[in-house]
Amino acid sequence: MAGAAASNRQRSKIAPYLMILPALAYLGVFFVVPFYSLARTSLSSMAGSVYLPTLTFNWDFGNYVDALSHYQDQIIRTFVYALAATVLCLLLAFPLAYVIAFKAGRYKNLILGLVILPFFVTFLIRTIAWKTILADDGWVVSALGAVGLLPSEGRLLSTSWAVIGGLTYNWIIFMILPLYVSLEKIDPRLIEASKDLYSSNRRSFTRVILPLSMPGVLAGSLLVFIPASGDFINADYLGSTQTTMIGNVIQKQFLVVKDYPAAAALSMVLMAIILVGVLLYTRALGTEDLV
Amino acid sequence: MPSKNSDAIDLQLAARFAANRTSRRRFIGGGAAAAAAVAFGGSFLAACSSGNKSATGTTATQEGPASGTLRISNWPLYMADGFVADFQKASGLTVDYKEDFNDNEQWFAKVKEPLSRKQDIGADLAVPTQFMAARIHRLGWLNEISDSGVPNRKNLRQDLLDSKVDPGRKVTAPYMTGMVGLAYNKAATGRDIKTIDDLWDPALKGRVSLLSDTQDGLGMIMQSQGNSPENPTSEAVQKAVDLVREQKDKGQIRRFTGNDYADDLAAGNIAVAQAYSGDVVQLQADNPDLHFVIPESGGDWFIDTMVIPYTTQNQKAAEAWINYVYDRPNYAKLVAFTQYVPVLSDMTGELNKIDPKLGSNPLINPPQASIDKLKSWADLTDEQTQEFNTLYAAVTGG
Repeated sequence: MAGAAASNRQRSKIAPYLMILPALAYLGVFFVVPFYSLARTSLSSMAGSVYLPTLTFNWDFGNYVDALSHYQDQIIRTFVYALAATVLCLLLAFPLAYVIAFKAGRYKNLILGLVILPFFVTFLIRTIAWKTILADDGWVVSALGAVGLLPSEGRLLSTSWAVIGGLTYNWIIFMILPLYVSLEKIDPRLIEASKDLYSSNRRSFTRVILPLSMPGVLAGSLLVFIPASGDFINADYLGSTQTTMIGNVIQKQFLVVKDYPAAAALSMVLMAIILVGVLLYTRALGTEDLV
Repeated sequence: MPSKNSDAIDLQLAARFAANRTSRRRFIGGGAAAAAAVAFGGSFLAACSSGNKSATGTTATQEGPASGTLRISNWPLYMADGFVADFQKASGLTVDYKEDFNDNEQWFAKVKEPLSRKQDIGADLAVPTQFMAARIHRLGWLNEISDSGVPNRKNLRQDLLDSKVDPGRKVTAPYMTGMVGLAYNKAATGRDIKTIDDLWDPALKGRVSLLSDTQDGLGMIMQSQGNSPENPTSEAVQKAVDLVREQKDKGQIRRFTGNDYADDLAAGNIAVAQAYSGDVVQLQADNPDLHFVIPESGGDWFIDTMVIPYTTQNQKAAEAWINYVYDRPNYAKLVAFTQYVPVLSDMTGELNKIDPKLGSNPLINPPQASIDKLKSWADLTDEQTQEFNTLYAAVTGG
């Protein structure tokens, strides 16, 4: 009896570890190993033949100096775009998520379905479709031109606006869904209570709804900002030669120039900046008591 | 103004044959391929390919006629309707024809790891551009194409047989040649485009696209500066890159493109584009305002070549394919579709059998005046290619 209980207890101690094993193995194979390889490459020097170079690991920090000095414009631009897209996503997604959570009633699932529907079409096709919509001779441009709202370039496609718009459009679902989930969880009685205490609509929004939706804001911002920072498809299709992002540079370095250490160093810089940004952001929002 | 000397080639005739077709360079998948290559490329996941079974080495010495399956990797929409089926019928072979060749450098980034370990790349025959074929030949990754397997090689144009890159065409079998020039939308430019300087006209600000491929993009720019891609120096390339950078910084150049310039040109977003001759024919079918011109200072040739990687699993079948392509009546069917310049000599008669106007189409049979203005890039060393790619990528990639 006692022995069986002990082994049961033992088993229940091991069980959680067994359950996370698949995820750990996955992360080990598809994150830790490539990350180690990337970090090592970024600190290596290339030598030997041009197309079959040998990478020698020698703590070559020069790759980082080069990456930062050559491509600082692209790095800054990348984060400006990603930040702009995140803010736009938040501004657009919040009212929508709010309506779905509180006002949609029996149409809730229908609206959620409609939000998800475009994502059944591949990312690439959706981005290319914007080329047609924003084309110089298209009706969007002529309509905006008629009311004098075109950017200084006199076009929409191949401008920063198109790239930021593309990023916003492509990643907004990752803002809507977490926001919806966190708003949905809010007990409506809390809002009623605030009203009973003579709070205005605005005050009950800023003092009740917004603070309680912070986990969603945080999760959504991260889910939009991080992929938007690494994106290169939007800049490629909707941008111009003046709107290249760091992802475009990394792609070019890997596939055309084949300077693997430079490309790896740029990737590490991108990750480091995202990480620092995310840490500052989570700290600013004080998520310890939220998440 | 030498208006008589306009090099605008009338594409009307050719356009008729090309209605509703798309040529191989007019293809939108470049970005997708790039995305996939970034995700899976580089050397990081190279280990994934080590599970592939190793090629059993060359089968060139195999006896008897070709049999089995032939896996071909070609550019998108670079094949005539029914051609593969006809070959299968004639040869008894099964062809696994894939249009998965989108970009030379990206293709190389994808196959170099397996090829360096002599592992199968999923193709018994591929169609890289000549400079890329020369590169993988130098790396020792190509099989020779035997004389007995390809007796029709004698039909090749003499200038191609005499190539410095591959004398006698022992390892690289030309598939199509074409011209790199300028395509413009006359409705957008309001005038004829004749020179490279016309690209820098402030009226066209933000409506010009250049090719991101180093050779195709810089060749004509270098010629406009009095340099030649036949004898490229670092200084000449740098000078061309500097000019491109200057114009890019001014906002003159809208995009650096691969195959996708054609869509922007057709949509009217781009007024002037560096372009491949065959593409423009296809586009003109929908938009008669489009013209193709070789700039006055000169344009370039490109040559796409069929090669047999040393990991091929069916050397005989690959040779049978090349031999079939090099049969003049067969080849005429291909040219009628792709609208590029034939690599075989004396094609006029066969082309006219398909359509009497095909043989005199100036894009398929360019007049001497055009030919005189077209240069081919020298056979660059690996170091040169790398250097020039790096110089140009500094502008196109950032």
